[in-house]
Amino acid sequence: MRIAVTGIGVVSAAGNSAGELLASIRSGCSGVGKPALLDTVHDFPVGEVRLSNDGLKSLLGLDSRRTVSRTALLGMFAARQALEDAPLFSGPPHRTGLISGTSVGGMDLTEEFFREFIRDDSSGRLRNAAGHDCGYSTMKIAGYCGIGGFSTTISTACSSAANAVMFGAQLIRAGVLDRAVVGGTDALSRFTLNGFKSLMILDGSPCRPFDASRTGLNLGEGAGYIVLQREDTLETEPYCLLSGYANANDAFHQTASSAEGTGAWLAMKGALEMAGLAPEEIGYVNAHGTGTPNNDASEAAALCRLFGDRLPPFSSTKPFTGHTLAAAGGIEAVLAVLSVDKGIIYQNLNFKTPMEESAAIPNTEYSEGNDIRHVLSNSFGFGGNNSTLIFSAYA
Amino acid sequence: MMFPLYINAASSSDALTRSAAELIPAPDMRRRMSRVVKMGVCTAMECLSQLPEGEVPDAIITATGLGCLADSEKFLRNVIENDEQLLNPTPFIQSTFNTVGGAVALLSGNHCYNMTYVQRGRSFGCALIDAAVRVRLDGARNVLVGAFDETTPAQHRIMERMGAWRGAEDGEGSHFFAVSPEQREGTLARLTLAEFADPGETAAQVLERLGPDENRTVIAEESGGYHTCAARSLYEGVEKIRAGAQRVSVYSRYRDDSPLVMLLECI
Repeated sequence: MRIAVTGIGVVSAAGNSAGELLASIRSGCSGVGKPALLDTVHDFPVGEVRLSNDGLKSLLGLDSRRTVSRTALLGMFAARQALEDAPLFSGPPHRTGLISGTSVGGMDLTEEFFREFIRDDSSGRLRNAAGHDCGYSTMKIAGYCGIGGFSTTISTACSSAANAVMFGAQLIRAGVLDRAVVGGTDALSRFTLNGFKSLMILDGSPCRPFDASRTGLNLGEGAGYIVLQREDTLETEPYCLLSGYANANDAFHQTASSAEGTGAWLAMKGALEMAGLAPEEIGYVNAHGTGTPNNDASEAAALCRLFGDRLPPFSSTKPFTGHTLAAAGGIEAVLAVLSVDKGIIYQNLNFKTPMEESAAIPNTEYSEGNDIRHVLSNSFGFGGNNSTLIFSAYA
Repeated sequence: MMFPLYINAASSSDALTRSAAELIPAPDMRRRMSRVVKMGVCTAMECLSQLPEGEVPDAIITATGLGCLADSEKFLRNVIENDEQLLNPTPFIQSTFNTVGGAVALLSGNHCYNMTYVQRGRSFGCALIDAAVRVRLDGARNVLVGAFDETTPAQHRIMERMGAWRGAEDGEGSHFFAVSPEQREGTLARLTLAEFADPGETAAQVLERLGPDENRTVIAEESGGYHTCAARSLYEGVEKIRAGAQRVSVYSRYRDDSPLVMLLECI
């Protein structure tokens, strides 16, 4: 059974739709800059979506007085795009499901609530606390988009959305669903910004994945979803196929990756095996590439180990969007799908000097119309959670 | 189709036979863990210790409704009270939902599939469904699947204000199971079904739908105290089988979420 991709939707710092995001990338325009909407004392560069919550509610047709977390709003916006992008589906509602990844959940509203609650436990608007958990945003998205089938939330830090894509495909293969909207969403919050700052892995400048001078990531926000559909239900040609995927655990450290990138290597290897592909058949790799000293060295080691001297063009697109945490795998799935569909090799912004730790040099020029049959996308999260997705040309 | 699965080991945070020091030998790692992470990891490691030598998981699947609350609260409180300055990263790191799953992988040096579901009262059911999918589609032979949730004073108070404790009592706990596609020497019970009922369906309605059965023991939890209480209900069901029950029908619901219905048979 083959699984096709029939719709894409995305909202990010570099564009509020797939078209806008691609236009930004084509013109080399990053969405990373000083925070304008997030209420923080820090001025680290972030990938902030250029829409306020009121703006999002307006675009979604929601009353601005309604209490909805930013994570849910971003998710609703991107998931709706993906469904509208997909062709009309004649199957019953309960056969389309939603698998969504999030790590922040409703924390943006919880922060508001907690500020008052810690002074006086009878204060704070309860509505701000009611959507704290991860499942809440998924329920809002499913309700808003009319998705009636099996829905659930995966939360494995920065690999969440990739894992959501995987589980959606699994449910289709298992006969539970015919179609699945899959991906993830995360909003900026003081909690996560300060969390990464306390780990000292935020960069005070725009991030430089795979560069010798890299010092950390730029936090981002956004949402990205794709629509998966069983091939025998297709009525029109899809974007591409989801031909392989795998999840493996680094089992090395709670936050750091092993120097050899064992988990990453296992995930990529597993996805290739599932897709029945040799490494040299991959035309482009969208790396996790956060820009932290640890991730990029580890990921590069895994890439070199897997591909040997046949390393395909690879890049991190996080300099455009920031590291969108649980949404990253979804936003980058959209980019990977476009890569297969249009033969795109994305550029890795801000790269000047190769790392000492590795011979791997990312691609720095955008190009389209290349003959790309298979694209590999990586997403790695805390807890050693490593996930790889492979998208292939439809034939 | 996806079931039956065979439950070969089962553990409960209320019934650990080994100490934390035995289950989590590295003292630094143990010391850094919050209460809920220690509870979840100990319960998971206890479950693994019940398996025969060499039977290691090829999938580790965890579920939680609210995750590592105490750490989240601690870090959030620090952010607010210290005006975003000079923050200790440990509670932030420990607050991620897959911390327990990641720690189990780390402790057992296991690179296998590792997933975490966080979908309110359906979290554990989703984890069980993923376990069944791994077995049926991907040939998994040994899946470690379990859940953990904690209560904190802040969470208790917030939910009290939301009316959650009228007719239900707050709770917490962790329960883990090792499941396989076929019966083994140490198999405790056969899980013939795990599926969600419609939200609002009562235990009585589900039992009527399943049909009469005189030899069936019933576990009906209609006011579970935490999101993943279905894992505790399953554990109770396994205990009934161990005590001699032939068949057990388990219904478990948290607030108004979809109830989880699980059917167990003796071996």
